[in-house]
Amino acid sequence: MFESHNDPVDVLTAFVDGSMRPIRFRWQGRIVRVRRVTGQWARREGQAVLRYFAVQGSRDDSYELCYDARGPSWVLSRAWTGPA
Amino acid sequence: MILLVDMDAFFASVEQAHHPHLSGRAVIVCGDPSRRGVVTAASYEARPFGVRAGMPLAEAKRLCPNAEYVEGNPRKYVEKSLELLEMFLEITPDVEPFSVDEAFLDLKRLPGRGQTLESATEIARELQQRIWDRHGLGASIGVGTNKLIAKMASGVQKPRGITTLDEEKFRGVFWPQDVQALWGVGPKMSEHLKALGIATVGALAHAPRPVMEERFGVVGEHLIEAAWGRDRTAVIPYHEGVDPKSMGHEVTLPEDCRDPEFLEGTLLRLSDQVARRLRTDGFRGRTVTVKLRDFRFRTITRQRAIGIAIDDHGGIFEVARALWRENWKGEPVRLLGVSVSALEHTSEAQTELFAERERTKALQEAVDKVRDKLGEASIVPAGSLAHRRSLGHVPFGAVSGRTAIDRRAKEGYGDGADPSAPDPTQLKPRLPREE
Repeated sequence: MFESHNDPVDVLTAFVDGSMRPIRFRWQGRIVRVRRVTGQWARREGQAVLRYFAVQGSRDDSYELCYDARGPSWVLSRAWTGPA
Repeated sequence: MILLVDMDAFFASVEQAHHPHLSGRAVIVCGDPSRRGVVTAASYEARPFGVRAGMPLAEAKRLCPNAEYVEGNPRKYVEKSLELLEMFLEITPDVEPFSVDEAFLDLKRLPGRGQTLESATEIARELQQRIWDRHGLGASIGVGTNKLIAKMASGVQKPRGITTLDEEKFRGVFWPQDVQALWGVGPKMSEHLKALGIATVGALAHAPRPVMEERFGVVGEHLIEAAWGRDRTAVIPYHEGVDPKSMGHEVTLPEDCRDPEFLEGTLLRLSDQVARRLRTDGFRGRTVTVKLRDFRFRTITRQRAIGIAIDDHGGIFEVARALWRENWKGEPVRLLGVSVSALEHTSEAQTELFAERERTKALQEAVDKVRDKLGEASIVPAGSLAHRRSLGHVPFGAVSGRTAIDRRAKEGYGDGADPSAPDPTQLKPRLPREE
């Protein structure tokens, strides 16, 4: 099931050809390697633009990360923790 | 020729594409799954269990307890819809977005292609494959000689179907069907037609025109033409735009409620949301509508036309509350909605010169500036705070980023923040609790 977290996370990020992409992140004491970015979208909050990434980890685990340029900071907003 | 691209179970499919482990599983998109609400979208895997959009979540959980219940994210779907729109524009400039998950494509201006049903079907097939390859999403496409036929054809084979119909084939497919299968005939119209002995689309096509015109006016003539598969409506390209007819918001309450203070606070919040949207998009409206659904699922809508076009939450709330007080009989309420219609562009709307109006306008502009800078949740009408506290979340979906910022501050994060940037945490003492 999906769980909402909104946990601050450290994310190793690549900036390539004018776009950004999370590479790996540390969450709950472990390093998650991003195998694939499966979706991206953005949401405006006032003047700030929050950029979201749906990503797949190496064990087919699944997350949604949010980048807030105001920090700059990353937040893990949702994680799929296995079948309900 | 015209195509109607209809994305299959769009919201659920986007979630499956973003989270591949959900592929092949029953996925139900809803509001917060831990709260009460309705099903927003169900994947095709969930549908054999009887789950449908609009169904109460509790019923869906009873029918399909093992489904994955995912909190929907409108921004995510809108963004995907825009990506799809860009893809459609690669094929033809004449694209009319019909809803977040449907669009008409007019192929008449394509050089050398798309002028016959066969050629248009080939384009539909390529497009369907391209949508799948690029986005991992299924689409059903209707191919027709006009918008009506394309629209109705798109629903014949789902998911991932392509149906091509000309007027003759249209009649073959739809004439035997219930009259409600015709695009534009809803349950109410269907009842009226059946009361006249018109039960099928074919019967409607052969209905006596004088009777239909006398009973339904110009709509009667239009319905007969539609039953024959005739439609002269043009595809209105995306860049030309179509003004909205109304703007509204509604909310299913966490539990049935009969507390007038809470309910009026909810109406105030809804009025504020509608007003903000009107101003953002440059509209004012002359009719306010209130929607009320009670604990027995009985729904009533009541509307009132007002003398001047308005876009302020106070004005909308005043009318909404009056309608509400006149029509609420004290029964527990499940859902409330407020909408404004009879819209006109702000530049065209008659301006009021009264000083009070000027003060309201200045206040709105100041509030809008704060929200533009700090977000929708940064300033709200005080009367709606009870509503916010009880719902336990900030409307407009603004909670996640702000909650995260609050948490970061609490946990000592934030080194390296731009000191000149507005600090949303400064607003915290003035905001109600968000968690």
